[in-house]
Amino acid sequence: MAAPSKQKTRWHIAVFLAPAVLVYTAVMIYPLFNTLRLSLYSEIDQERIWVGLQNFRTLFGDAIWSDQFWNALANNGWFFLIHMLVQNPIGIALAAILSSPRLRFSAFYRSAIFIPTILSFVIVGFAWKLILSPIWGIAPGMLDAIGLKFLYQPWLGKEEYALTTLSLVSVWQYVGIPMMLIYAALLSIPDEILEAGECDGITGMAAFWKIKLPLILPSIGIISVLTFVANFNAFDLIYAAQGALAGPDFSTDILGTFMYRTFFGFQLQLGDPHMGSAIASAMFGIILIGVCIYLFGIQRRLRNYQF
Amino acid sequence: MTALKLENVNKFFGSVHVLKDINLTVEEGEFVVFVGPSGCGKSTLLRVIAGLEDASSGTVTIGDDVVNTVPPAKRGIAMVFQSYALYPHLTVKDNMGLGLKQEGQPRAVVEERVSKASKMLDLEEYATRRPAELSGGQRQRVAIGRSIVRDPKLFLFDEPLSNLDAALRMNTRVEIAELHRTLSASMIYVTHDQIEAMTLADRIVVLRDGRVEQVGTPMELYNNPANRFVASFLGSPSMNFLERSVPGVPDGQTIGIRPEHLRLAQSGRISGRVTHVERLGGDTNLLVNTDQGETVTVRLFGQDPTEVGDVVRLEFAADDAFYFNEAQERIFEAAA
Repeated sequence: MAAPSKQKTRWHIAVFLAPAVLVYTAVMIYPLFNTLRLSLYSEIDQERIWVGLQNFRTLFGDAIWSDQFWNALANNGWFFLIHMLVQNPIGIALAAILSSPRLRFSAFYRSAIFIPTILSFVIVGFAWKLILSPIWGIAPGMLDAIGLKFLYQPWLGKEEYALTTLSLVSVWQYVGIPMMLIYAALLSIPDEILEAGECDGITGMAAFWKIKLPLILPSIGIISVLTFVANFNAFDLIYAAQGALAGPDFSTDILGTFMYRTFFGFQLQLGDPHMGSAIASAMFGIILIGVCIYLFGIQRRLRNYQF
Repeated sequence: MTALKLENVNKFFGSVHVLKDINLTVEEGEFVVFVGPSGCGKSTLLRVIAGLEDASSGTVTIGDDVVNTVPPAKRGIAMVFQSYALYPHLTVKDNMGLGLKQEGQPRAVVEERVSKASKMLDLEEYATRRPAELSGGQRQRVAIGRSIVRDPKLFLFDEPLSNLDAALRMNTRVEIAELHRTLSASMIYVTHDQIEAMTLADRIVVLRDGRVEQVGTPMELYNNPANRFVASFLGSPSMNFLERSVPGVPDGQTIGIRPEHLRLAQSGRISGRVTHVERLGGDTNLLVNTDQGETVTVRLFGQDPTEVGDVVRLEFAADDAFYFNEAQERIFEAAA
């Protein structure tokens, strides 16, 4: 009696899950594990052979490789730090301003600030290259117009500025995302709580620091981890603006561009899918560790509030 | 001294006229209840008093000061919200103390006032809990505690009991009444529940469509309603309004009789058939369909053997009847 009814009720679960599972496996799970597998092989005399962890030994032990790796990782860390210190605070501030009911044209500002996010990285990278160019750029002229020409530097061309400049371009492009997430979180705070604050004399900036900010901390946590993952996977903007060599002199090289160069080859460097996979696996490990620290170390301490 | 004085207060939301020429005085220590159906403007009026909304015209005076342009925190009021509106991220103690800290009160004063309020409301053991860890009734007490510590000239309650279940509502009602006696503070209380209004109020303000319909003590309003709306709003079960069933009432006039003023009598003026009986133990409510097709509620004290389908005659004392004209206003010369 029970057996046929069990069959009847069970098989549809598999049917409905199948499309998503198949697609996800094909585009995410299989490539991930294949990349991890590929990093354990090498090609010698046009033959793929098992080398175990040899690729990782090369990556971290061989000075030529490890210098590049640590350079890319350090640059990536700086890239992430700038996003955390500039993009997210500005995003939160913009959201706080937008959520003020007295602001006029807030829908317009919201869209205007969000538009760069939907632009292609090619357009953004190229447009900023043109803007900042010492030859055709409008940046020198604009600074001149307000008498600040002495501040101008060929920012993308100098080793000490290039990475920071590109980080800020990326901030400009993506600041709409934290803004939107925080904006939604701020709107979900019930009016009555803010009115209770008003009766307690907590208005304006005090209301932000003492009521709104503690209540949006969970959203800020989510944004931080999204920023971390996105930054350590970043590649496109650097590639569009500086090319795969991430110049000048690798000063804008991040893990994504390093991996791309290694995997596919660039100019005189031959592509090496196995070393490339080793770098990709290392990136995966770094992101995994970062996300785990967030999930187990930070998110548990954040309270989610039900209103 | 008066605690609150409203003079010709009007409020528009865009072109919608929400409050129409409100005039009202609340004396020191008085418990005033605003009552009315939803959408009558009672909450808006409370928010205008609190300063969460600005009056479009007219003056609001709290104590001796005109407060039209004074922000809520400086008006000397404290408000208890329907949803409690506690700060979810703060403990009970900090919820109560935040306003005082913001004022810049010394830590010792904050501690002292918070612990005094906690003691008064039996919240001491919950001092370090957060709102999410409290029951509805406890949250409500924290919200009341938050208003007490501010030591306001005027307490404002916005439907504070409507999120509680029936048993708790009764208890909290008693607690609020006791609080009023202990603090002897002026309080304004908004509700749509006429029982809360009748049991708590020194004076009731009945509002409809943004207008004050009548102001008076609960018994004044009950015994002497100014119009049919007030008569129907107070009292439970509500007053019967009959146009045809009582012989001798002129056309266009309505006679109003409270259910408890009707009694079964052999020679009664109203005759009809019982369609429903509610036996509450202490009371018995009959629904009677009169021969003229109107429905009458009769409230009999004690238990009564009347069954559904019985034909009954009902009688009432002339003094207990109210008469209303077509404009629904009360008319005092009894009909022929």
